[in-house]
Amino acid sequence: MEDKKITVAHVQLSSCCGCLISLADTYEKFPDILSSIDLVYCQTLMDAREIPEADVILVEGSVCLEDHHALEVAREVREKGKTVVALGACAALGCVTRFSKGGQMPKPVHGSFSSLTEIIRCDLAIPGCPPSPELIVEVITAIIRGDKEYLKPFIRYGECKHESCGCDLIVNVINKSLCMGCGICSASCPTRAIEMIDGRPLISPHLCVKCGVCSFQCPRIEI
Amino acid sequence: MDPLGNYKSIISARATDKRILKRAQDGGIVSAVFIYGLENNLLDGAVVASKEKNFKPVPKVATTPEEVLEAAGTKYTVSPNLSVLKSAIREYSCEKIGVVGTPCQIISTRKALKYPLGFRHLVDKIALLVGIFCMENFPYMGMKIIVEELCGVRLEDVVKMDIGKGKFWVYTKWGEVKSVKLKMTHPYEQSSCHVCTDYTAELADISTGSVGSPDGWSTVIIRNHRGEEIINNMIEEGYLETRPIDEGKFGLGILKKLALTKKEKNMKEIEHRKKLGLPVPPDVCGLLQ
Amino acid sequence: MVEKIEIAPTTRHEGHAKLILEVDREGIVSKAYYINTTPIRGFETMVAGRPAEFAPVAVMRICGICQTTHGIASCNAIEDAIGCEIPEDGRLLRELIGLGNRMHSHPLHHLLTLEDFVKPGEEDLKVDTIKLIQRMRKVGQLIVDTVGGEGIHPPNIVIGGMRTNISERARAKLYYGLRQFEKDAQRMEELYLELIERYLEEVGIPDLGSHDYPYIASHTTYGNKEAINWDSVVEIPPQRYYGDIKIGESTSVMIPLYEGVPAEGGPRARLVKFGNFRSGGSAMDINIARARENLGAGYRAMEILDELDINGETKVTPEYREGSGIGVHEAPRAMNTHFAQVRKDGRIKSYRIIAASNWNFPVVEKAIEGYPYQYAEVIVRAYDM
Ligand SMILES: Cc1cc2nc3c(=O)[nH]c(=O)nc-3n(C[C@H](O)[C@H](O)[C@H](O)COP(=O)(O)OP(=O)(O)OC[C@H]3O[C@@H](n4cnc5c(N)ncnc54)[C@H](O)[C@@H]3O)c2cc1C
Ligand code: SF4
Ligand code: SF4
Ligand code: SF4
Ligand code: SF4
Repeated sequence: MEDKKITVAHVQLSSCCGCLISLADTYEKFPDILSSIDLVYCQTLMDAREIPEADVILVEGSVCLEDHHALEVAREVREKGKTVVALGACAALGCVTRFSKGGQMPKPVHGSFSSLTEIIRCDLAIPGCPPSPELIVEVITAIIRGDKEYLKPFIRYGECKHESCGCDLIVNVINKSLCMGCGICSASCPTRAIEMIDGRPLISPHLCVKCGVCSFQCPRIEI
Repeated sequence: MDPLGNYKSIISARATDKRILKRAQDGGIVSAVFIYGLENNLLDGAVVASKEKNFKPVPKVATTPEEVLEAAGTKYTVSPNLSVLKSAIREYSCEKIGVVGTPCQIISTRKALKYPLGFRHLVDKIALLVGIFCMENFPYMGMKIIVEELCGVRLEDVVKMDIGKGKFWVYTKWGEVKSVKLKMTHPYEQSSCHVCTDYTAELADISTGSVGSPDGWSTVIIRNHRGEEIINNMIEEGYLETRPIDEGKFGLGILKKLALTKKEKNMKEIEHRKKLGLPVPPDVCGLLQ
Repeated sequence: MVEKIEIAPTTRHEGHAKLILEVDREGIVSKAYYINTTPIRGFETMVAGRPAEFAPVAVMRICGICQTTHGIASCNAIEDAIGCEIPEDGRLLRELIGLGNRMHSHPLHHLLTLEDFVKPGEEDLKVDTIKLIQRMRKVGQLIVDTVGGEGIHPPNIVIGGMRTNISERARAKLYYGLRQFEKDAQRMEELYLELIERYLEEVGIPDLGSHDYPYIASHTTYGNKEAINWDSVVEIPPQRYYGDIKIGESTSVMIPLYEGVPAEGGPRARLVKFGNFRSGGSAMDINIARARENLGAGYRAMEILDELDINGETKVTPEYREGSGIGVHEAPRAMNTHFAQVRKDGRIKSYRIIAASNWNFPVVEKAIEGYPYQYAEVIVRAYDM
């Protein structure tokens, strides 16, 4: 029993695949990570064509409501996964697909994308565009170890079904007299949308992709 | 309540290098540690607070002893040092980084190390966290009012500022010294400091400040193996000279007292804000240890 | 009797797709449809009306493997539209980061095709090759991380140039990484030559997956708008291209044509157009061309490090004005083109993308036809889509 590896599936919805690539950016450690689990499905890396039941299903991407298949897959992962993980900001928070609105050839009706957390119950959700390789590995390790304490923030993100954005720092930190100007939000932003001006984060809304990283990284708010 | 957090030992120390002492705030511990690290391949970069004209702080990745020296000295205003943390590992390609920061910045860094969500390939490149004691901080314009309005000195003339003996001190390039009672400076503190309960950077590898040691010396709290190793080597190789910490009222006594005062005072503020239904910072210190 | 075979979903590539094959009595494919069923997130309409700076940031997120090439093509298009010249060192860094991306993407694709060519019992070879691939990718991603700020969706590619230059230390580190890459890329090319030769011999079809469409490529290591006659580039809806409305409706890919016909883009196309690589051969040649391009990328990257002035300016502040422009970058998979119309106020008026892999969708279908259906997926994978 103690030697049995957990079964893991990776499922891609409307995503760029960057979250999976992030995991692959563990380079020489990648094979070891794969052998610490039992990967049972990952369309990008292997030939299994049907999502099997699995202890953990990592789902990347948001859900296109005009795509019947996508909704089916969302339902299917909830049924088949003991633990469903929304991997990355598209699945967790919507991310760049929050800006989608349809009208593009040849599928002009594809225009409504929701985060996976809005469509099905997710046990864990990981923001980030993409989450760093090191963080993904930490989370997988914590799942294997059953380390609920470490997973706490991700459980919370799994529950919260609202969008996220750099402006959250304004509302939740600066406006609440909590920002002390450490600058970590600025460094963490994957699009460099945050500049520190007069000791406070200044968010360029047109560079923000709503990945939720800055809020997650801020030490002054509960994650 | 444990006022100082976990630590292995506490000493008084100062740099032996006169160049460092000349530019440093107190005993030059921070600069000496970074220079020692750079010269001995323990570090290849340090995240520091440099400054521009008029004491405007500028976060910077220092990769040479000269750049570390340029950044020596306390800026009594917010310097978002961590905003350059990622540049250090990207365009600067550092692999062994030292970080100096106020207690809150050390907390942010520890959190990023535990949950490196937006910090691809960072974790194994942070080599040393040096925390500086901190009772409160001022917005830039707050500092300007203290210097220009309360002390009557033009910011451009200031070479050093300091807090000690209950006063805020300003030293000018003309050799003058002005001061004002800390009571007068309180209205200019940034309010987010009032919910901060960490005085001595409890999550750093090494914490240092002036309180508890004689003028020109620093109090150094060695918190873990990593901090111990580097300080011991520096002492052995003559980079630092030390004296035992004064265990009494003017040494450890006052340090503990101030640390406790900050905790108690700001815990009250936290409770007060809770009562008003306002959010307060999570207890990250507990979470991260 | 014609039988219909459906392979769904196809595996070991990015995105969602399926193959619909009409197969004759001998098992030979008479008609192939390669249908991309990925929902359209609509990056073209997403950026319209928004400030131009949003465009590169957004469109990078089309693909997490070749984000860099979208960022480059986007900035090139917008700069072309507003008549913005970027500084030479910015241009060099842009080319360098594009090569870094290729140096991670190509090996990653070897990882996805490897399974097609190693045999059961060759576990050691497989494990060693995966290590080799990851070592190569690490160098490629190191370039993108260092020059671009993030290995995935590099934010330093900005309109006007590159956000920052790199340090002396960084340059040295990249140089030593590239020296290692050079060795590994040589090994990779040898290995793929051997594996493909063996594979084709065993299959017994030396020209497996050949087709007679032309090639399209603009440059070997970067992208050159001038090399293409843009009047001859059109994109038509799949409904029109396929004739069959049901098939046309099911795919998410617009069909690009050059001079009225599909054209193959990517490693082979580049090496044929600008080198002396064999044209018209088996689709497996693309796997070899890809391996060879790794080497070329490594050498050019080292040359760029030499040419780069690390104290040089890398960026100008763009001055927005009305205009339309084309940005071309040779993505790992094919030529990637962005078309941008910019308004006077610096917002995007309209935006269009011919993503690299779109070129190869109709080509792949042609390449599958005339060969036994069992090899359809192997042919698809040679194309990296
Ligand atoms: C806002 C503030 C409040 C302080 N309050 C106290 C106090 O109550 N009691 C006490 O004992 N000590 C306090 N200190 C610490 C003290 O002023 C010295 O910084 C410390 O003793 C280190 O001195 P040194 O000679 O070892 O360092 P030096 O060699 O002078 O180096 C100091 C280092 O700190 C960095 N730095 C300077 N200003 C900032 C800043 N604003 N934010 C982040 N990094 C900075 C510099 O870049 C430099 O690397 C405070 C410091 C700050 C910034
Ligand atoms: S979160 Fe970012 S990296 Fe992940 S799938 Fe979405 S766009 Fe790609
Ligand atoms: S500001 Fe940056 S980190 Fe914050 S949500 Fe937007 S893109 Fe993400
Ligand atoms: S991370 Fe939080 S506390 Fe730090 S500067 Fe950003 S908003 Fe302020
Ligand atoms: S008092 Fe606390 S929050 Fe304010 S600067 Fe000092 S450590 Fe940071």
